[in-house]
Amino acid sequence: MTLSYVPGDSLAHRLDPRSKLLVQVGFAAAAYAYTTPRGLAALTFLAVACLWLAGGGPRDLWTYRAAFPVLLVAPLVAGATLGAPWFRVERAATTGLASYRVLLILVVAAGYVRSTPVRDSRAAVQRAVPGKPGQFLGTGVALVFRFLPLLKRDLLTAREAVRSRGGGTLPVRERMRLVAVAGINRAFGRADRLGTALNARCFAWNPTLPRLAFGPADYPALAVGAGLLAAAVAMTIV
Amino acid sequence: MIDATGVTCRYGRSGSGGSDADDGGGLVAVDDVTLSVPDGEFLIVAGANGSGKTTLVRTFNGLVEPDAGTVSVNGAPVSDDLVAARTAVGMVFQDPRDQLVAATVGADVAFGPENLGCSHAEIDRRVADALAAVNMAGREDERIASLSGGERERVAIAGALAMEPDHLVLDEPFTGLDEPARRSVLDRLRALRAAGTSVIVVTHDLRDVLGLADRVVGLSAGRVAVDAAPREAAEKLPGLDVRVPAAFDDRPADAPAAGETDDP
Repeated sequence: MTLSYVPGDSLAHRLDPRSKLLVQVGFAAAAYAYTTPRGLAALTFLAVACLWLAGGGPRDLWTYRAAFPVLLVAPLVAGATLGAPWFRVERAATTGLASYRVLLILVVAAGYVRSTPVRDSRAAVQRAVPGKPGQFLGTGVALVFRFLPLLKRDLLTAREAVRSRGGGTLPVRERMRLVAVAGINRAFGRADRLGTALNARCFAWNPTLPRLAFGPADYPALAVGAGLLAAAVAMTIV
Repeated sequence: MIDATGVTCRYGRSGSGGSDADDGGGLVAVDDVTLSVPDGEFLIVAGANGSGKTTLVRTFNGLVEPDAGTVSVNGAPVSDDLVAARTAVGMVFQDPRDQLVAATVGADVAFGPENLGCSHAEIDRRVADALAAVNMAGREDERIASLSGGERERVAIAGALAMEPDHLVLDEPFTGLDEPARRSVLDRLRALRAAGTSVIVVTHDLRDVLGLADRVVGLSAGRVAVDAAPREAAEKLPGLDVRVPAAFDDRPADAPAAGETDDP
């Protein structure tokens, strides 16, 4: 399963993407400003609420499984020492909290991705950042969201092709090499085909963007986002 | 009207020196093809794998630039205005997954009109009309990933129709489709033909579409080997490793398909 937009009528689906982007930015800032267990507990509640309001659940987090080993191993690596006492708990705890913050930001991002069509994200970015930089950023966001799921599917297909011909018995290193080589080849081919498809459909840097409008539900969301951002700034200054 | 004059396309111009390499270097995919497609015509471009069919039709909207010769659409050279050419000649790829770029049906069909800078009302109208034309009205919010192969093909056709092209090119539209999906796409092609849309179908298997065609162009090794009405073409095409109906009877275009055979 690849994390992507899921049509729906949840509260998050009804929000303007600009509101959701502000909440994300505010949340990320707050997560890096409030590093105490108490602060992270509050942010955990908020992150779960964001995902829930987008109609998501634990299943959406499974798409981040590739990041979990890194987030889990990081505290162990940080705490390890080459000599006595061999392991420093305080260092591991600090890194562990940092890993946890990353996880929380991923949860909020999952809520955004599943509730926001790609073209709405592009429109939000282009309206927030005027001119050619905005067009460039908006197009980049749109292409990343369109290309990554395809790329992931190609890698899975390559892995299945290796397995289907007995490759599952090969050493891990060899399997990784086969999937990587096939995956890179497919990625280049996929990029070519995506480029051709965009050309055939008259891809434009400045297309007609979808209508965006703030509704009643956006004002509380904007307040939450601005509040998080302000709290983060205040904490940093203090 | 699409006019291709002396079109030649080569691949791998560095050249491997194979038997197919000509003096210009590289493999010749399309070799000095001259072809006109009038408005409203239902044309089949037939040929075996590697005969140059796809390369030729991709020159019609500038996705492939000819190494020699010219292609013009509605009197204007394609290279002069690629957006105009791509608006006039809609393209449906062989694998719809290569063509669909959005997560939902409505967003994907709207992608082309958005790029053309249409107003929101115009985009909404085009999306509704295009989806109705492929019998998928009201399914704008469905996820592309949840569609069947036939439905994806129809969404790909809708995406091209939303550009409101003068000509619609479909590259192997029946590949990978089961029988109900084939019938569904055929029904859409019949409807397009009845509506007067110019349709160009690229295929190596004419069993489904020969009865719809006004003309058939057969390619072999990049050259035009057959350019004839369906009845005459049906007699000549088997020599090009192309499947044709066992009995071609000039049946009406909107009639269901007659007996077919796998024999070339």
